[in-house]
Amino acid sequence: MEETSVKMLKLTIDGIETEAREGETILQVAERLMIDIPTLCHWKFVKPYGACRICTVEIEVHGKTRMVPSCSYKVRDGMVVKTRSEEVIKHRKMLLELMLARHSQVEVVRKLAHEYGVDTTRFEEMPSEQCINCGLCVRVCDEVVGANALTFVKRGTERYVSTPFEGEAESCIACGACAYVCPTGHITVQDIRDRKYVFSELALGPTTPIHIPFAAAIPGIPVIDSHTCIHMQTGGCGICSKVCEPDAIDYEMQDTFEEMEVGSIILATGYKTFDPKRAEQYGYGRLDNVITSLEFEHMSHASGPTGGAFVKADGSEPKSVAILHCIGSRDKNYNEYCSRVCCMYSLKIAHLIREKVPDADIYELYIDMRCPGSGYEEFYNRLLEEGVHFIRGKGVEVSQMPTLATTTPVASNSKLYVKCEDTLLGMPRELPVDMVILSVGLEPAADAEEVARVFKISSKADGFFMEKHPKLAPIDTLSDGIFIAGCAQGPKDIPDSVAQGAAAAAAAMSLIDAGEVALEPITSVVDEEVCTGCKTCLVVCPYGAISFDEEKHVSVINDALCKACGCCVAACPSGAITQRGFDDTQIEAELAALLM
Amino acid sequence: MPKIETAEQVKRFQEHCKSALDRFPIVVSLCNGTACCAMGAKELAAAFEKELAGDESVKFIKSGCHGFCEVGPLVVVRPLDVVYQRVKPDDVPEIVDRSLRHNEVIDRLLYRFGDGGKVFAKEGEIPFYSNQSKVVLALNSLIDPYSIDDYLAYGGYSALARALEMTPDAVLKEITDANLRGRGGGGFDAGRKWNSCRTAAGERRHIVCNADEGDPGAFMDESILEGNPHSVIEGMVIGAWAIGGDDGFIYIRNEYPRALKAFGNALKQAREYGFLGENILSSGLDFDIKVSRGGGAFVCGESSALFRSLEGEVGEPRAKYVHSVERGYRDEPTNLNNVETWANVPHIINRGAEWFRSTGTKDSPGTKVFSLVGKVENTGLIEVPMGITLREIIFDIGGGIKGGKNFKAVQTGGPSGGCLPASSLDLPVDFDVLTRAGSMMGSGGMIVMDEETCVVDVAKYFTDFLIEESCGKCLPCREGLMHMSGILHRITEGKGKPEDLRRLVKLGDAVAAASLCGLGVSAPNPVLSSIRYFEDEYLAHINEHRCPGSVCSALISYHIDPAMCTGCGTCEKVCPVDAIKPVPDEERKDGLLREIDADVCEKCSACKEVCPEEAIVVESPAVTTEHYRENVTEMR
Repeated sequence: MEETSVKMLKLTIDGIETEAREGETILQVAERLMIDIPTLCHWKFVKPYGACRICTVEIEVHGKTRMVPSCSYKVRDGMVVKTRSEEVIKHRKMLLELMLARHSQVEVVRKLAHEYGVDTTRFEEMPSEQCINCGLCVRVCDEVVGANALTFVKRGTERYVSTPFEGEAESCIACGACAYVCPTGHITVQDIRDRKYVFSELALGPTTPIHIPFAAAIPGIPVIDSHTCIHMQTGGCGICSKVCEPDAIDYEMQDTFEEMEVGSIILATGYKTFDPKRAEQYGYGRLDNVITSLEFEHMSHASGPTGGAFVKADGSEPKSVAILHCIGSRDKNYNEYCSRVCCMYSLKIAHLIREKVPDADIYELYIDMRCPGSGYEEFYNRLLEEGVHFIRGKGVEVSQMPTLATTTPVASNSKLYVKCEDTLLGMPRELPVDMVILSVGLEPAADAEEVARVFKISSKADGFFMEKHPKLAPIDTLSDGIFIAGCAQGPKDIPDSVAQGAAAAAAAMSLIDAGEVALEPITSVVDEEVCTGCKTCLVVCPYGAISFDEEKHVSVINDALCKACGCCVAACPSGAITQRGFDDTQIEAELAALLM
Repeated sequence: MPKIETAEQVKRFQEHCKSALDRFPIVVSLCNGTACCAMGAKELAAAFEKELAGDESVKFIKSGCHGFCEVGPLVVVRPLDVVYQRVKPDDVPEIVDRSLRHNEVIDRLLYRFGDGGKVFAKEGEIPFYSNQSKVVLALNSLIDPYSIDDYLAYGGYSALARALEMTPDAVLKEITDANLRGRGGGGFDAGRKWNSCRTAAGERRHIVCNADEGDPGAFMDESILEGNPHSVIEGMVIGAWAIGGDDGFIYIRNEYPRALKAFGNALKQAREYGFLGENILSSGLDFDIKVSRGGGAFVCGESSALFRSLEGEVGEPRAKYVHSVERGYRDEPTNLNNVETWANVPHIINRGAEWFRSTGTKDSPGTKVFSLVGKVENTGLIEVPMGITLREIIFDIGGGIKGGKNFKAVQTGGPSGGCLPASSLDLPVDFDVLTRAGSMMGSGGMIVMDEETCVVDVAKYFTDFLIEESCGKCLPCREGLMHMSGILHRITEGKGKPEDLRRLVKLGDAVAAASLCGLGVSAPNPVLSSIRYFEDEYLAHINEHRCPGSVCSALISYHIDPAMCTGCGTCEKVCPVDAIKPVPDEERKDGLLREIDADVCEKCSACKEVCPEEAIVVESPAVTTEHYRENVTEMR
């Protein structure tokens, strides 16, 4: 259709003369004028439906008065609208009274009816039904989400909302939009997924596709996760672009690669936690109430999935908790090294639990307490005073049934039994607890190997990046200008990471400050006449010092990076690379001199 | 058969068909309408076919509904022009022998009015027919609905040929000038609707025929589709030409298998002859009609619900503040008219707007088809000029109330219409007058009630019907009707409260004012109109626990009048609950032979229907058997 200029219409609402664009509904104009018209089946992002009729207003056009629903009735020129005339109030009261007869316990209905002075109904009351048949869920699922997973079933007084053929809706994408729009709380997310408290939901990740990456993110701008965004996955929804008034949503935006020329690079690529599924004896992923320390953090956060409440998978409060240290650390089966942070964070977890559930029994199962830091030992002492049970002995197994003959089973079917050897008592023990928290260790980041390869730096046997010298050059790498900091180099806590980060920054600064670098006197050099362009040298150079000139089709050595190790000289099949001051004739001369 | 390609060829072919028809000196037309079929027309047809086998001089037609369903099966013999009624297969040899071969009239098969009353032989003389003026139904008894040649012989498709020679504007003007109003109930100006559809923005335009006739007791559209399907097709093609329609649909309810069959056959023939398809009569018009079968939801007769159903969605109405003529089927411009409206179109084109306006009233010109049913002597399908009074329809055509009882009310407009009392009998029947009287024209159902009808019960019946048929989308219709029905049920059970009437009216007003579609808006009509005209009956139920029509079972009791009872025992045999017992000898007095035990009696009325002496009496308010026995004299 051709674009035509929008026609403006004049109308009067409740005595206010106003203008409206052709095609606007009475409700839209009234909202602009801050005139309150009650609605139950209206949401501005779905098409007007006109089912509840609560928004009925009185209009006068050409001297004729009529009752029309303001949500769907389009304004007309010269129209006079009364949103609270006697007639309108009378009808609304009648409709609310009818609603009360069927929905006497629905809060939104009761509240609205009360506003109109309707607290009882003269009609025969029926058992209260939660669903008021407003159809918002059906429409949002169809029009916005595009999933069509909900529909009305039957007709007339028997009408209700259900999934197609009353089965599990295959097209449901569990987005929760229906629950969000439901004005009465008839649809809840539990109804759809039934897993509000299932701990797999605790896995660290955004709860909605649009989120600010983390609380203190800079810039503090929300991002859209294209993997969970309904629009990007199905082409439906798009609700955010409709709500966003500054029109800032851009679905076309793609990830981009930025290339920067820099003089030095600091690698602070962090770590990942040990996956306790690898240690099956602890039951993680198999037993509902075994969670990791990081999941505990997520749950205990006020904006977490449980709103900060510490609960078991069934939603109840645990009365006894075991915190198992050294999961994946100090263990020949997994990682031999100490992760350095677990002792302290385990103490913090015990402290938080003590705060949330004051009467809980809390056990810390440790090999040694390693508290070497400012105020750390004092914190440990405080925990002792808070009545946390410290058991010196590593937890070895978590099970649903006791395995030791000496254990007396507890009369509860949701208990977990943690087996350990109490080395102070010199006997095996089995603790019945409600919940187990695994203090997982630190491991190199998942892509650490890939990063090391790209930057041509070395890794240690445990996978963390190798420093140039463990004592004398802990932030340098063998590649000049590349520094490492934090857990990328090895497990460390926040103060240590901050210190190392600052040191790396200072080292980078010193290079920038000098403005020049001192070259090695002896570096490799390519004889361009002889080089065949086979690129063998590119692969063998451990320092990433060789690049390839596509135009000349020869290898080029960066003198600032070359450490004169000679790998390329030895590898070059055509003998095009030599070391400055060490070409064949010079070496032969040296040999001749030696032998003579 | 090669396609007919020009108006000239239409004319030539019509003459050919006519002469083919004229070759038969005798025509026997057997009414094959639904009612006559139920009365045995099928067997009758077999008998005729057997008797007439090999006889080339007789054309035997199984026609559509003749209208006079009350006395079916009907047989018309031409040119003798005699109507035989209640014909049985045994009568066939005699009819063939005497009337066909020897031109004699068989007296005993003729229609008689009243006991031993006047005898009528010719169709034009029978009051049921003589007071009608048939336009849309005119060909029903003359043609075989399965033969396009018969339709052509009577000038069929000449209106189409004529219209295609006119400009679409001229056709539209003719319809507009005729002031044809939609026969589906609303009475909306068809010319205006066509024009809106023609000028609405959109790429494709659809022409739709609404044949979702769902009113209880209505069979007008069914009879047109079964009796003269080509007239509807012709009307729709003319509409497509005037409006610029790209495709056509007819939405027929699946409960009309005979109409579906007849219309399907007509479509096939029209395509073969070139009246549907590409480049119709070389006019450049491409148009065809698809049949869509309705699933039986009453609300699908409402335009927006019908379009949703046509699209394959759930048939639910939507808010129509953009008219469905602009955004109908697939949200594209769609012109929806009902069967009778389309069937009127060829007549207007053939004979002109002036002619059309000459019948009927100024604001409602033309004729209207009604199905006249209920407690009237002559039930059937009638076509009358607009402006005729209800009295003329019920008493002149309908022959008055059955069994000489008194008239109580007439329900027009189906379940959404209203109940009009005797004082409204002289109202002229047109769209506006009936609406003002609290009822409506509707699609043409007319249910006559006698004094033994309870209007509260009728209002309850229609309200319950509409609850069943409400889609449930909007609150007032879904919840309001249910509570109205609850109150009505209470009243008919003798549990009514004085405030119930006021509450019914208030509730009815709210439902009418706030409902989403026409179903809800008109749903309170039966209740509101019956309260308006029969408030005393409601009050009798509420205050005296008395049902004036003796219908509401909770308020009546059955007794045997000892003065009339002969003790034959017929009633005792039919009573399904053994409530009737002979009175022991020692208790017999005043001729009391049998009694109905009021505690056991289910009030099924089976005894009353079989009693040869009319000794079964119904008392309202209900009294005990003892009370009746003691006070029988005063009660009489």
